[in-house]
Amino acid sequence: MNTTPSRWQYFVSGIIKENPVLILMIGLCPTLATSVSARDALGMAAAASFVLIGSNVVVSAIRKVVPSSVRIPIFIIVISTFVTIIDYVLQAYQPAMYRVLGVFVPLIVVNCIILGRAEAFAYGHGVFDSLLDALGKSVGYALVMLVMGSLREIFAAGTWFGQAVTPAWFRASPMLFMIFPPGAFFLIGILKALVNRLTIRA
Amino acid sequence: MVQSKAWMIVSLVLTCIVAAFALAEVYAVTRPTIERQAADALRASLAEVLPAASTFTEFEPGTVWSGHDASGARVGIVFKTQPRGYGGPITVVVGLDTAGIITGLGVGTDMKETPGLGLKARENWFRDQFKGRPADQVRLKRDNGTLDAISAATITSRAVTDGVRQGMEKHLHYLRP
Amino acid sequence: MNPAKILVGAFLVNNIILMRFIGLCPFFGVSNTVGTSVGMSAAVLFVMLLASWVSWVLYHTLLLPFGLVFLRTAVFILVIAGLVQFVEMVLKKHVRNLYSALGIYLPLITTNCAILGVTFLNVDYRFDLLRSTLFALGTALGFALAIVLFAAIRERLEDSPISPSFRGYPIAFVGASLVSLAFLGFTSLFGISL
Repeated sequence: MNTTPSRWQYFVSGIIKENPVLILMIGLCPTLATSVSARDALGMAAAASFVLIGSNVVVSAIRKVVPSSVRIPIFIIVISTFVTIIDYVLQAYQPAMYRVLGVFVPLIVVNCIILGRAEAFAYGHGVFDSLLDALGKSVGYALVMLVMGSLREIFAAGTWFGQAVTPAWFRASPMLFMIFPPGAFFLIGILKALVNRLTIRA
Repeated sequence: MVQSKAWMIVSLVLTCIVAAFALAEVYAVTRPTIERQAADALRASLAEVLPAASTFTEFEPGTVWSGHDASGARVGIVFKTQPRGYGGPITVVVGLDTAGIITGLGVGTDMKETPGLGLKARENWFRDQFKGRPADQVRLKRDNGTLDAISAATITSRAVTDGVRQGMEKHLHYLRP
Repeated sequence: MNPAKILVGAFLVNNIILMRFIGLCPFFGVSNTVGTSVGMSAAVLFVMLLASWVSWVLYHTLLLPFGLVFLRTAVFILVIAGLVQFVEMVLKKHVRNLYSALGIYLPLITTNCAILGVTFLNVDYRFDLLRSTLFALGTALGFALAIVLFAAIRERLEDSPISPSFRGYPIAFVGASLVSLAFLGFTSLFGISL
């Protein structure tokens, strides 16, 4: 049995074994709200990843000088700085995506994934390892978002990234259930059940 | 790691200062782009509904603009109205020529109407119906008028139609010399 | 917007959890029993109202007039974190039994998207202080309604035969899907929309 995971493990575990949404069950709010289409879902994943990677690296870099008693407020300040940066960068250079993501951009600051990783990992590990961990979790998160967004878009609009992928008769009657909140809840329930099935078997 | 009370406070304050500076920088850098984009988007939406105009002057902030052609002559007005639709307020931009006839209709991009149903209000066939009509001809067929509603999206169709008509009645006085 | 419509809108039509998807972590984490759900709801109501007032005042007296709007994310979340700490200390000292009743839910509220969400929406919708209060109140009540209803369902699910893959979160999500479907019926209630 391995005693210390190799560095590569930090990255890989975030994708499947410790996938933030499907295994750790954190960061749910934006997942359900912004996954109405594949493109929007990836946009959200990209914004959250920017904050996760940035804040993890910074927290790790300053971990030796941050007194543990005030670490949470300092994490919060660091995270909210990155969130504000991506907020204004999106507003300026990707206004359409910004309008789609709406209030969920500032809500990245309370995304459990980010504060959780800062506390559970970045504070106690080196910068490079923290970077790997953040990258892994980001990829894992993006994967889930891609699946959710794609499924909802295909069922509801018959397109994928805006390109029609279903016959016209299918697109003529959109499955509205998938766009509205109930559909999102249902879909993630099914996904999680699938994950359970696969992991229980293993 | 230093654990003294003084360092606790200093580290917090330092972090705040660094963060505030970084954010002020980002804000300063992005602000001109953001403002320029908003202005461009506005001009584009106004020009789309009143193609004869090349410049616009604001009459009522955010609501009514006067359109002028290259020689400075008034060619019409553009007004914005926000009728309440099925899922939220719908931003509708209407261009009127000097006779009070609709030259164009623009429906907002941030609509929360039902995709596939009410969202179809953005489609060309629905919007083009309005062109060339004066206020008294802006009414849905099912309301004793001549405009086609979007099937299964009556609330959205009616919201847009009535919003346009009421807006026209409200702002027509700007066209009188 | 009409104050009554704001209240009803936040409570039912735009229910923060079931329609807006904000506040899901505590929703799934705390709703296994009706008792814990009620406790969490009480804590949320309290903090949400306080946070709305403090952040509104700070925004309109400090951030806006001095052109510091870009600091609002940081300021709002720090206000919430601070408030929660403060409430915890006060309760621990003066209202001991409430403190132990709320237990671990208090610190959990800091990461509750719903609280931060409300402070932001108050600003985006340009509500005055009265309307912000009503919005926060309606939202907190909507949160309570959703979470208590859901807890009742989950308590029932405990005794039902569920296939292994679906036990726990999956069936909870499917259940939430159905409750959310029911709430969809409130769209355009009294002419209120999103």
